[in-house]
Amino acid sequence: MKFLLLIFKNLLRNKVRTILTCLATMVLVFVVTMIWTVVYFLNDLTEKKTENLQAIITEKWQLPSQMPMSYAQPLSEGAASHPGDLRPKESMLWLFYGGTIDPENKTRDSLIFFIATDPNKILTMIDDLKKIVDPKVVEKLRQRKDGAVIGPKRLKTINKKVGERIKVTGLDYKGIDLEFEIVGELPSGQYEDLAIMNQDYLNDAIDAYRGPSGSRHPLDQRRLNFVWLRVGNSEDFAKISNQIEASPLFRNPAVKCETFGSMVASFLDAYTGFIWFIKWILVPGSMVSMTMVIANAISLSVRERRKEIAVLKVLGFSPGRIMVLVWGEALLLGLVSGLATSGIAYVVFNVLMGGIRVFPGNPPYPVPLDCLWWGPLVGGGTAILGSLLPAWSARSVKVAEVFAKIA
Amino acid sequence: MNNTLPSLLALYIPLGVIALALVLLMLTRKIPFQYSVRNLVVRWKTTMMTAVAFTVVVLLLTVMVAFVGGMNRVVARSAHPGNVLVLSDGATDEVFSNLPINDATEIEHQPGVVWQKGRALSSREVYICINQPTTGPDGRSKHRFLQIRGVEDPDIAAQVHELELLPGGQWLSVGGVQESSTAGSPGDGKAASVIEAVLGEAIAQELGADRGQESLQVGDTFELGPRRWLVVGIMRAPGSAFGSEIWAKRSIVGETFGKQNLYTSLVLRAGDAASAKALADRLSHQYKKSALQATTEAEYYSKLSESAEQILSAVFLVASIMAVGGVFGIMNTMFAAIAQRASDIGVLRIIGFARWQILATFLLESLVIALIGGGLGCILGYFVNGISASTMVGSNDGIPKSVVFEMVVDPNTVALGLLFTLLMGGLGGFLPALAAMRLRPLESLR
Repeated sequence: MKFLLLIFKNLLRNKVRTILTCLATMVLVFVVTMIWTVVYFLNDLTEKKTENLQAIITEKWQLPSQMPMSYAQPLSEGAASHPGDLRPKESMLWLFYGGTIDPENKTRDSLIFFIATDPNKILTMIDDLKKIVDPKVVEKLRQRKDGAVIGPKRLKTINKKVGERIKVTGLDYKGIDLEFEIVGELPSGQYEDLAIMNQDYLNDAIDAYRGPSGSRHPLDQRRLNFVWLRVGNSEDFAKISNQIEASPLFRNPAVKCETFGSMVASFLDAYTGFIWFIKWILVPGSMVSMTMVIANAISLSVRERRKEIAVLKVLGFSPGRIMVLVWGEALLLGLVSGLATSGIAYVVFNVLMGGIRVFPGNPPYPVPLDCLWWGPLVGGGTAILGSLLPAWSARSVKVAEVFAKIA
Repeated sequence: MNNTLPSLLALYIPLGVIALALVLLMLTRKIPFQYSVRNLVVRWKTTMMTAVAFTVVVLLLTVMVAFVGGMNRVVARSAHPGNVLVLSDGATDEVFSNLPINDATEIEHQPGVVWQKGRALSSREVYICINQPTTGPDGRSKHRFLQIRGVEDPDIAAQVHELELLPGGQWLSVGGVQESSTAGSPGDGKAASVIEAVLGEAIAQELGADRGQESLQVGDTFELGPRRWLVVGIMRAPGSAFGSEIWAKRSIVGETFGKQNLYTSLVLRAGDAASAKALADRLSHQYKKSALQATTEAEYYSKLSESAEQILSAVFLVASIMAVGGVFGIMNTMFAAIAQRASDIGVLRIIGFARWQILATFLLESLVIALIGGGLGCILGYFVNGISASTMVGSNDGIPKSVVFEMVVDPNTVALGLLFTLLMGGLGGFLPALAAMRLRPLESLR
């Protein structure tokens, strides 16, 4: 206890230095906290679930995925065609419709992007929504084919409110302009900039469309973008996935069936180099920089206290104990700064800002609670590293030399 | 030039001001510069550790900016100032565009389109983005996004995009396919036709790396989508997005990927940048037969740098926060130096040196440390210049393009690194220098 007190008192002797070192450590732990939150977010996206899996079926080769509507029914049944074939527990179709409310001035602010789907499936198939969407809103969407539920951010951008009507001029579905009544608002978060509409409304419009020569819409046979399936466990997923990918029904275009996590992972593969740089260059680089700052502060402190260290040795402190004393000072400083920073980051980001927005357009991702251990770990670890040499130097102070100089 | 870095004025004016202040400090100082230098040398361990912290911060900044610079250069080099990209109205990207085949001839006859030898300089194209499963060097399965451009007439397309083949290659044949007895459809082992492909230099290297080669060569085959492809040529496309593309005949690409009866884009050559702008405006607003969205290629590709701008913002955020850490580090060093040399300061004041001379001396010391560390960071950072990297570039409205590029450390990057380090040194050194200046001579001598 006395030893701890000594460490504490030593740190308080040069308050400016202690504060500056703490601040430097805090700043760098803050950088690491932000970067690791991003890494957590990416891991979270690609995490493999084992139960109640959601499979997503998309066009096998091309981006964006555009499949014919004739795929909808067999895909919804998991391409089950033989006795013993497994069927998914539930399915959901996604069609995308993008347009502008101001065709004369197509700015990003006038755009609106709809997911067209079956309202009956919103609360059962979309995990994120079933917890937060008001069932009454979904009921309204079910009742009105031309109803639209829009995220708060998009509503604000297009300057509309629930109850108002909007006319959307189709951009990808050229010539298909739709009028909507806004029947509700999506919650903030992942869907805050999107809108959801009834898939029947879009399907009817595409079916009714006739071009100048009576032709069907160019996207008529490419209107189905995603099919979601709810499957049981990974074995069920493997079986259904195999049924779908082996089925002769889906050849042109071919389709692929994967879990949501693996689909995101395949997108992130394109950023592998960048993510590698963040993980293995940026974070270690920050830590090297922090180590240098701490090493400098501790070595300055040791150099100024050579006489005192010599006296401690005369009083019976062993070299090892002196080394532990210096380490202890650095460690205390690193641990406290690390814990304080991660705690502050946790509260500030999560409570005040709702998290860190990793990608533009994505909802903020909360700083994980794990930061409360990694902050002190990073702070303490780098403090130990930074104080290795100064502590060794303190341990090696020669009493005779120090007193000879004084004499 | 790296056009997403802060504008040149915002970069060079502060740097110039700091450099001027440095020169003024050097010229007007009365205390010999050697005094400062000797102090730094005597306390070499502290100087070194502080400088290393600066080196790391500036090195990371340089590498990150070099990455963004490479992305920007790819985007900038892909556009020809005289080219106009025609998409269907409402299409936010080439992949979303559907141009009726029948309209192409009439569009090419619009005034402003350059004709040569009786042919319009117009490339009719189908552009497709493919998700290709592959295996990484560690054996892990991964995915790669590839861009395939189906061109109607490879000669015209090459002329419009100003691309040429590396020696030994040839452009696509009229049919765009070749019979092969050894390469059937993947997995079936039967003799079948292979699709002729001309690869950009960068993607040839990327695909070659999959099989342990430096690059795919003319005559090599590879699997992509449902078919096997034969390399008939490799395009020289230094640092442009076309270097990451695979070209094949439009009809074959359309048939293979379900875009048979359409073009996604027409690339028209106008006389110069001004004519291109006029042509684009005319096609977008006055062409009545079908609704078009025409932009100059320069405008289209500049939009693709949105992703680079977002990364650059993140880079500045991270670097600024790290710089604050560096500032605290140098403050520590300088405060310690002042504490150690309090009696020196007292003597200097008593023999007549003014307060501001003391301030200048200590400020110079911190700037010298910053320059040593930051300069070293810039030098080390320079070694990433030309290193190959890959990422996606794109606007928020479209499908991003996967590009392989070389990182760029240009004078702007070095200037930014130096500005950063001098700002860190100046900010970190100012408070301690102020404290040194305010020391009372007699008290400091006690």
